[in-house]
Amino acid sequence: MNRTRVLLILFSIVVLVLPSLSLTAQDMTEVRISWWGSQNRHDRTIATIELYEELNPDIDIVYEFQGWRDHWTKLSTQAAGGELPDIMQHDYARIEEWVANGLLMPLDGYLESGVIDTMNISDSSLAGGMVDGQMYGINLGNNSEVFTLDTDAFAAAGIELPPLDWTWTQFEDIANAINEALGIHGIGVLTSDQLWKSQYMGCCDQWAYAADGMSLGYEDDQPLIDYYNMLLRLQESGGMQSYEDSVARGDQGVEAQLIVTQEAAMAYHWSNQIVAVWTASGEDRNFVMYPIPRPEGGQSQNYIKPSMFFSITSQAEQPDEAAAFIDWFVNSVEANEILAAERGVPISSVVREALLPNLGAAQAEMFNYLGIIEMDNSPIRPADPAAHADVINNVFGPEFVEPVMYGMISPEEAASYLREEANRILGAQ
Amino acid sequence: MAAATLTKGKRRRKSNFGQDNLVGYLFIGPWLIAFFLFTFIPISVSLLLSFTDYNVLANSGDFIGLDNFQRMFFEDRRYWRSVNATVKYVVFSVPLRLVFALAVAMLLNTYRRGVGVYRAAFYAPSIIGGSIAVAVMWREIFGNDGLVNFTLNLLGIEGPNWLGRPETAIWTLIILAAWQFGSPMLIFLAGLKNIPKHLYESAEIDGANSLQRFLRITLPMLTPIIFFNLIMQLISGFMVFTQAFIVTQGRPLDTTLFYALYVYRRAFEQNEMGYASAMAWVMLMVIAVLTAFVFRSSSYWVHYEADEGT
Repeated sequence: MNRTRVLLILFSIVVLVLPSLSLTAQDMTEVRISWWGSQNRHDRTIATIELYEELNPDIDIVYEFQGWRDHWTKLSTQAAGGELPDIMQHDYARIEEWVANGLLMPLDGYLESGVIDTMNISDSSLAGGMVDGQMYGINLGNNSEVFTLDTDAFAAAGIELPPLDWTWTQFEDIANAINEALGIHGIGVLTSDQLWKSQYMGCCDQWAYAADGMSLGYEDDQPLIDYYNMLLRLQESGGMQSYEDSVARGDQGVEAQLIVTQEAAMAYHWSNQIVAVWTASGEDRNFVMYPIPRPEGGQSQNYIKPSMFFSITSQAEQPDEAAAFIDWFVNSVEANEILAAERGVPISSVVREALLPNLGAAQAEMFNYLGIIEMDNSPIRPADPAAHADVINNVFGPEFVEPVMYGMISPEEAASYLREEANRILGAQ
Repeated sequence: MAAATLTKGKRRRKSNFGQDNLVGYLFIGPWLIAFFLFTFIPISVSLLLSFTDYNVLANSGDFIGLDNFQRMFFEDRRYWRSVNATVKYVVFSVPLRLVFALAVAMLLNTYRRGVGVYRAAFYAPSIIGGSIAVAVMWREIFGNDGLVNFTLNLLGIEGPNWLGRPETAIWTLIILAAWQFGSPMLIFLAGLKNIPKHLYESAEIDGANSLQRFLRITLPMLTPIIFFNLIMQLISGFMVFTQAFIVTQGRPLDTTLFYALYVYRRAFEQNEMGYASAMAWVMLMVIAVLTAFVFRSSSYWVHYEADEGT
């Protein structure tokens, strides 16, 4: 009986004292930040944050990270609850929707006052973050889509590297040749909606969406049909991983690409992801980055895009401190030495120059690749319309890609249904 | 005599009514508060939302009457695929799970040494039931180079791509459900132990074989338990989510796009909380009607020992 009482008293003391211990944390300013990414990005970003906290002892940066899909689920729920972090990583495909709903804060004031210093940043690098003439997101790196080639596999198969302006026909031959020579796939599945969006740049100087976002932007379904007929041929021959196999493997992030495990000799991804891919593959591997193949006689299907932004939300409690952190994140050489261009080629010329001498193999190849793309590309198109996610999740994936790749319906039939449904959704925005 | 104690008991209960209640409410207070805050209020709000086009990101929505239901039933192809997948899952997984549960319960209803260990071992999968870990493990087992195909390979059979084929993907989830038979099994076990031994003994004397004993004694005596398990499993079957969310993501071709997963997608990935609420309420109604139907039917097949006793 007595012992119980003593224990109870001890327990209540602990309960009463504990909260006061954490009071010491109160003189710190808390800045919340949230991003999506792969493990490689998480590690680098956390290390950068720890450095910032060391340099600014009065700042406590509370971070959350997740995969792409969960990022949007989590943050839109937080938005509804008024619980958004101060800084959130944002994307070109979504920023318009978030600005339209008043969830992001214009950063023009911070740019003018110099809190976010843009002295060494070109206007073109910043332009992607503008919505309706105001700045809502600071570009964290320049990016472009890429076909990465495993040069060792090409050598082993006795296949010569193609010219930089290779065509889809050349690509198809190479993929099949690799499959025949090495018994591995040429490449993983190529059914990404990104490729659909830029598909019409190569042939027709068009984009998946019309400029006003109220309908599809391409007139002729034939190039899309031809492309999917090629994918069906490649799936059949083994030149490309079968769609079925990619479904069975599930979405395990960029580090799970077939090129990493040497189950394919090529990979399609965003240029910044080469850092994660190369790290996962091992330093001893040799990769070279190529633009997206183009149609016969067509032009570049590549465009340069802000890989992602840091935006300050309209629910931020410490917008000033958040802006100071973003400035440091973008402009500090120290920070970018840790980040190692994993989010794309840094936009600050000072940072780029400082990184150049010590670039790792992956980063050097990425810098070089972006240089190539800068010489020959198609102009970036307007940010995706607000209904983009609806079109992709409910029409493009389940009604177009899947039934076509499983051979349930013909590409012709699927393309016309895609047009009909996408136009209905886009028109109803 | 019996009547006298009964009235006495009643009177005493009455006199302490207020105080008893207060203590009772105090005890369930925390639960009640949480129930109202986190269950009752959100459910009520979702009923209101189901008549709006409330969007999470915009944090606003207009009253649109029955439009959500109209859209769901007549315009949304994926909705019907999700209904299809869910019904298929329930129709196969619930009976399978109950049969497994009963079979294992009967095996474990003996007095051998170490039977307790087996009971715990068979129950374990259910404790970790809807968990991410199990779902991830299932991916590995049924993956291309997984355990199942490896075993088939040893037998000289080339296994199909279980998770990638539209015909097989849902079966991996149905098998997963059957494997998680632990909680109905425990309830069956308790039910089996309640069947009076003398029934079996007299049947044996009359020369009934084991099949007859099972059909004429065990099954009828267990019907109240079967009834209970059936209802619980039906309800949880319709609400299946985690397995598809982790193992298949609703793919391929929406064959594993379970209802709850589709609701989640619409609500949290598409931000269409109004539409998702409407879908959720339709599901609630369907489950309610089905449960009522099973309850109604119970008078035809559920056998209560007590009925004959009095």
